[in-house]
Amino acid sequence: MLLAIFVGAWAAYAAWSEFGQNDLLFASPLETAQAFWDGWRDGSLADATWQSLRILLLGVGIGASIAVLFTVVATLTKVGEDALSLLTAIMNPLPGVAMLPLAMLWFGLSTKAVLFTLANATIWPIAINLTSGFKTANPTILAVGRNIGLSSVRLVSDVLAPAALPNAITGLKTAWAFGWRTLIAAELVFGVVGGEGGLGNYINNAKLYLFTPQMFAALVTIALLGVVFEYGFTLLERRTIVKWGMQRS
Amino acid sequence: MAAVAVAVTPEAGVLLRARGVQLGYWTPGGFTLAVADATFSVAPREKVIVIGPSGCGKSTLLKAVAGFIHPIAGEIIVAGRSTLAPGPDRSVVFQEFDQLFPWRTVLDNVAYPLRVNGWKRGAARDRAREFVELTSLSHAGDRYPHELSGGMKQRVAIARALALDPAMLLMDEPFGSLDMLTRARLQQELNGIIDRTNTTLLLVTHSMDEALTVGDRVVVLAGAPSRVVEVVDVRDVGEPDTPHYAEARLHLRSLLGVRHDREADDGHGH
Repeated sequence: MLLAIFVGAWAAYAAWSEFGQNDLLFASPLETAQAFWDGWRDGSLADATWQSLRILLLGVGIGASIAVLFTVVATLTKVGEDALSLLTAIMNPLPGVAMLPLAMLWFGLSTKAVLFTLANATIWPIAINLTSGFKTANPTILAVGRNIGLSSVRLVSDVLAPAALPNAITGLKTAWAFGWRTLIAAELVFGVVGGEGGLGNYINNAKLYLFTPQMFAALVTIALLGVVFEYGFTLLERRTIVKWGMQRS
Repeated sequence: MAAVAVAVTPEAGVLLRARGVQLGYWTPGGFTLAVADATFSVAPREKVIVIGPSGCGKSTLLKAVAGFIHPIAGEIIVAGRSTLAPGPDRSVVFQEFDQLFPWRTVLDNVAYPLRVNGWKRGAARDRAREFVELTSLSHAGDRYPHELSGGMKQRVAIARALALDPAMLLMDEPFGSLDMLTRARLQQELNGIIDRTNTTLLLVTHSMDEALTVGDRVVVLAGAPSRVVEVVDVRDVGEPDTPHYAEARLHLRSLLGVRHDREADDGHGH
């Protein structure tokens, strides 16, 4: 297995290279695993993870809701469409973290600031994908929807929305990834958010106390979470767009 | 422009009356008239075919009857109402295979429109099952559209359209995307189904054989912009191997070849 080779290389480097042997700067797989295990057992890693996830969920949730609102308005009115286009063109290229100092200025050192930054990181990818999903919805099934007597509202909810699901999932995946990165970065800058520290804070703390294995363990946790997220999305896709033959390349 | 159905006095013995209908569309270059004058009628339980070469505006005419577009002149009256909006009383079977909702099973594709129109969940399901069986799809009720062949998909569309108990079934070249064998089979099946449900049918096609197999009367559109050149009664035309059939086909052919258009053809190539 490729993973075994990688871990092996890592262990070898830790054991035999000069940099790797430096306990202050580098942790071996064994030390990392130990720190990982300890961290989960005493709850510190678990708390940090949950704290981060909690804020991520909230932030992406807010971002997604705003994105849906924007998109629906953009679909229904020409002015909305142009406005969204313009906003997206300006805001989307901005890295999420770039908004953090502004957020801190406006909201202080609070959860609100992080949520604002998160929301901003997630609105635009979702809005872009959702808009394109709505635009490229099969016109025939929309005609069918009108033919069977659907009201405009139901046409959007029962036909347009499911038709745009592949795009919505793509948008959500992107938003989730952006959000996760933005959040960890924000936590690193911030320190403690909302009373308890997330994973970024955990890393920072470990750095402060030179608990290098803990740092490595936190990074492993972040990586693992990324894998879990991806698997989650794959499951979602399998139950929906794959089952329905709607997956596009 | 707001489309509000206007009630006029319904005519006895006539379900659809089209009078002097003119249809066209806007392009960057201006307004193009597709149909200059369509005048014909459909009686209840009748099967009327609209035939014409590609591009003659027959699909546009069907869309106008369905209510997706409005005539710029003339009137279309269905069951005493004009200025129509799309509705389940004139349910449509389109040419495209992907007219089914991919996220719903075959059965649900038929049942959902019923629920939308007030049927209770259980009753809708039962009725859907009935029509799925009518179109020989009982074994595929729980499949998703992407698992079906083209012919099966069109059958589902027919089941869905008929389950709604429309005043008139509209079909826009429903078998145009199918191979000739499947097409021939579905034409026969359609005949059987329509006879059993006593549905009024308005079907658009460019195939003379389809017109003769399915139709009672054939409205021939020709010219550019198109007009109704003749309405041919083909009720007693019989099987394709009879002289009567051949005569009728020849007659249709001559009508369709009125101008330089030689496109009304079933692919026989001359």
